[in-house]
Amino acid sequence: MTMAQWRPTPLIYTSMLLWTVGYCAVMLLPFCVASLLPEEARGRFSRWVILQYGRVMVYRAVWPFVRVKFEDGAAGETRPGIYVFNHRSASDPFLVATLNIPVIQAVNGWPMRLPFFGFFARRGGYIDTTKLSYEEARDRMGRMLERGVSVAAFPEGTRSGSRRMNQFRSGVFKAARELGAVIYPCCIVGNEELPDRRFRFRCGRIRVRLLPPLAPEEVRSFGNAFLLKNHIRSRIQREIERMEGIASDE
Amino acid sequence: MTREEIIAEINSIFVEQFELDPAELTAEKKIFDDLGLDSLDIVDLMIGLQRKFGIPLRQNEEIRKIVTLGDVYEFFVKLAKERPEFAANLKK
Repeated sequence: MTMAQWRPTPLIYTSMLLWTVGYCAVMLLPFCVASLLPEEARGRFSRWVILQYGRVMVYRAVWPFVRVKFEDGAAGETRPGIYVFNHRSASDPFLVATLNIPVIQAVNGWPMRLPFFGFFARRGGYIDTTKLSYEEARDRMGRMLERGVSVAAFPEGTRSGSRRMNQFRSGVFKAARELGAVIYPCCIVGNEELPDRRFRFRCGRIRVRLLPPLAPEEVRSFGNAFLLKNHIRSRIQREIERMEGIASDE
Repeated sequence: MTREEIIAEINSIFVEQFELDPAELTAEKKIFDDLGLDSLDIVDLMIGLQRKFGIPLRQNEEIRKIVTLGDVYEFFVKLAKERPEFAANLKK
């Protein structure tokens, strides 16, 4: 059996559990104290807790079986904006932590209902797009952006579980146009089986690459959300092919 | 206005608004899976048509049932029968 075939699933889940217990033990007291803070400060603290937990999971708990590399191609742009990722695996929401910025995620319902994670997601101000109208979700995104908090979204809606990229939904792109937000396209490769659809792990490497962003003027230059989302999808697709060596570098 | 003329007009609107390849526009194509259009895109389309033709479309419940491009054709064929002014405006 080669390293690529070996499944360290029990080891990874044990490690994740131990790191989670340790992290909760460290954060319990600060989290209780933070519960007394006003809502905005509480939300900010919750987002920080989620971010650090994500980084612990991505860079510590799964190491050395899974190694994660972040590549920043944002060309110095630091404005809060909408980060658009491709979506292959259940590990994607954790990989958002590689951005290392204040961020919430726009999610499609089920993550908010998870017993442990859902609590923190609600506290952190994550947006459940299945419970809100488009206008409500857009306005919440706008308020977060004004506070300097970016929004991460997976416009495929559901994970593909393979190298294929599904069609994008238009919501975040329509919102970006209306809010005048920066869009940061992001590629995740290598995690289509980390974990797989049965939540089993192999050993592997994951790369997260942030591409040069689209400024608000460029975002608005597209005639509608459909044209914008297809443009972003094509850019992500091309970059993924480049990262996976399918297409040659231009 | 014939059914074929309505379909041709609808196709031209799709090409103009969404820059789709005319060869892709066949009745069996699924709006989301094949063409990548979701409900918000359809609402955008309806708002555009509403402005263009002055006919309220956005609240029409039939829009929610649209799955294929064929459903879009049927929607507008039916609308042209029910609202002759729509067919007249479509010709312009």
